[in-house]
Amino acid sequence: MEQEQPKGWSRRRFLGGAAILAALVGVPLAAIRLDLFAAEDAPSERQRDLMRTVSQIVIPATNTPGAGDVGAGDFVLLGLAHGLEKARTPLPTDAPQDLVRHARTDGSLDQAAWLEAELDRRTDGDFLKAAPERQAMVLTKLDGEAYAEGVREHPWRTIKALILTGYYTSEPGGSQELQFNLVPGTYAPDVAVTPQTRAYSSDWTAVDFG
Amino acid sequence: MDFDAIVVGSGITGGLAAKELTEAGLKVLMIERGREIRHQQDYATEMKTPWEMPFRGAGDQELYAREHAVQMLNRHFNEYTQGHFVNDAQNPYGKAEGTDFNWFRSYQLGGRSLTWGRQSYRWSDYDFEANKRDGHGTDWPIRYADLAPWYDKVEEFIGVSGAKEGLKQLPDGRFQPPMALNPVEQHVREVMKANWPDRCLTIGRTANLTQAKGERGACQNRSICARGCSYGAYFSTQSSTLPAAMATGRLTVITDAVVEKLDYDPATRRVTGVRYLDRKTRERKTATARIVFLNAGAFNSVHVLLNSASEAMPNGLANSSGVLGTHIMDHANTLSAIALMPGFEGRTSTGNRPTGVVVARYRNMDAMDGEGHTRGYSFQGGALQSTWTAGKRDPGIGLGLKEKLQKPGMWRMVLVAFADCVPRASNRLTLDSKAVDADGIPQLNIAFAFGKEERAALAQAKADAGEMLTKAGGKVIMGFDQPGAGGTAIHEMGGARMGHDPATSVLNKWSQAHDVPNLFVTDGAQMSSSACQNPSLTYMALTARACDTAASMLREGKI
Repeated sequence: MEQEQPKGWSRRRFLGGAAILAALVGVPLAAIRLDLFAAEDAPSERQRDLMRTVSQIVIPATNTPGAGDVGAGDFVLLGLAHGLEKARTPLPTDAPQDLVRHARTDGSLDQAAWLEAELDRRTDGDFLKAAPERQAMVLTKLDGEAYAEGVREHPWRTIKALILTGYYTSEPGGSQELQFNLVPGTYAPDVAVTPQTRAYSSDWTAVDFG
Repeated sequence: MDFDAIVVGSGITGGLAAKELTEAGLKVLMIERGREIRHQQDYATEMKTPWEMPFRGAGDQELYAREHAVQMLNRHFNEYTQGHFVNDAQNPYGKAEGTDFNWFRSYQLGGRSLTWGRQSYRWSDYDFEANKRDGHGTDWPIRYADLAPWYDKVEEFIGVSGAKEGLKQLPDGRFQPPMALNPVEQHVREVMKANWPDRCLTIGRTANLTQAKGERGACQNRSICARGCSYGAYFSTQSSTLPAAMATGRLTVITDAVVEKLDYDPATRRVTGVRYLDRKTRERKTATARIVFLNAGAFNSVHVLLNSASEAMPNGLANSSGVLGTHIMDHANTLSAIALMPGFEGRTSTGNRPTGVVVARYRNMDAMDGEGHTRGYSFQGGALQSTWTAGKRDPGIGLGLKEKLQKPGMWRMVLVAFADCVPRASNRLTLDSKAVDADGIPQLNIAFAFGKEERAALAQAKADAGEMLTKAGGKVIMGFDQPGAGGTAIHEMGGARMGHDPATSVLNKWSQAHDVPNLFVTDGAQMSSSACQNPSLTYMALTARACDTAASMLREGKI
């Protein structure tokens, strides 16, 4: 039996678009496996565009690529679908209506849908068409609200956490922006920090417990 | 008989038993319930980078919730190592009402020797005399002097790096050169020593080689041991005991074979062998031997004994005492303090040291200074820097965030308490009368709870940890005084305890069943108390000692 392609999700479009993007920005393609999305969790093309844009604002390009450039947006969507950062935890019974309206069938929040609606609302209808400065301003405000004193949980925290994971575990984020050494060979316990010092993304203790 | 000896289980003690018995000239069968994992060939994710993993190392949490609901709570479990842990859905266990117990398991050739924390500490007479001193449990029939030469033998074979400190409560061993403390840990050690002369912070004594040993290479400071190590730099069955046992030409290994029960001959009062299920063919088979060593892991060894009940021994094999399955333990374990450590911003470290530090026990030794408890606790932990993951906790986006996360982050020091667990009869294993696992074998049920002694110890540990780190200039940001779920320390032990009296214990001082002279249990099941040190080195020393005894008894025709 032929499997139906999820709506709005074309393997050819994805690979084509991502390859063009990789060629343009000159970074290795950190492809996300399409077969890991269940049909009901597959994001729309607009959600992918939006998540890529948001990722790039959170970690912009400098002399190394930004998070959008390296495919962190797609990783966020995959992570949300598969419960990373506890993304599939059911909403509490007293969750506000603006979250409840984006609940998945399992009771968890569809964060991608929530973010899309929230950012569009804050930009008078279409976040993706807003000027870059306004996009950054809106996201900065949202970030501030999510980490305000007394706020312990917020869907933006989940998304931001996955953007950082998607970036710093990509090859450019992990080995160009930071340093990566799978086989250090030696342990140097006391090394002076200099202006050139970059952290190691392969410092697993720091990653897990820092 | 098919074999001189059958060893059930291939983990830390099973592998060592196979080595010791084959080197003693015996023809040995080692039988393992899980799949084969070959050294250097089957460590599938060992050299993978995060960007080569579908979920970047974090793993598919939806899958884990369905199939690894317990194992996913293990700090060593992740996308790289998930293949080295059991599928919980296929390997269920029951819990008594009120029991909170996470049973972390690795069913494969090498067992948990592939995934263990490698911390290797000797016990002292404070530990072997603990039961006698405060009256909990039953007195150990051995003391440190009985075990010291066996600790020597095991340490020299497995390779333990560590620093000699001359502590009575944490005896020195035959160490390879120690790994180094970082500047924050060195500072805390000095502050501790200056203010509390009886408290010693030292580098973890770990079964990672700092010098090459035979075919095994020195540690590469990757700290991804649980993926498997092709350098053979940490002790595992695959890197160490299996090659030694195979070299004798006297070892047969069967994998994918779960032992259901032992066969017992009431006429001779001897076990005659094992019955097992071949998981690939689904055939039920038997193997016979002159002696049997149970090394299936503490709870699974007890499981086999309980499931080996017969007309002659209706309450389980080797259970005339009625204590089989009782007095199980696990260290009470919690994060006592975490502190920010300002003043070291100009320093960092490179490379991934595969061990933390340990603060040796200092309570209830010669003076009884525990508040509400009579035993000890020690701390493990270390100083580490934060990294990009800290960005998840703080506000900020854009260029400033990226620049901030490029640098090594703030130093912090962590002290995690491991408190002695009092042996209690109410903490016990039983067989479920109805529920069976996927192989049709009765499910194991666990009844376990910590008591007021462990809670009192952790309360004192929290206060001490906060005081010490504050004195060292730290700013304590968090600490707990309640234990995690049972099993959190992954030091489950007891259930077939050793003792003087056959009426109150399962094993004698040689790890030999009082009731069945040719049956030895040398994994964690044999433990009569828990101490507060990691127990694996002691299991190994007891195993080597029991193997020597068993081989001698066989030679002399005593069993």
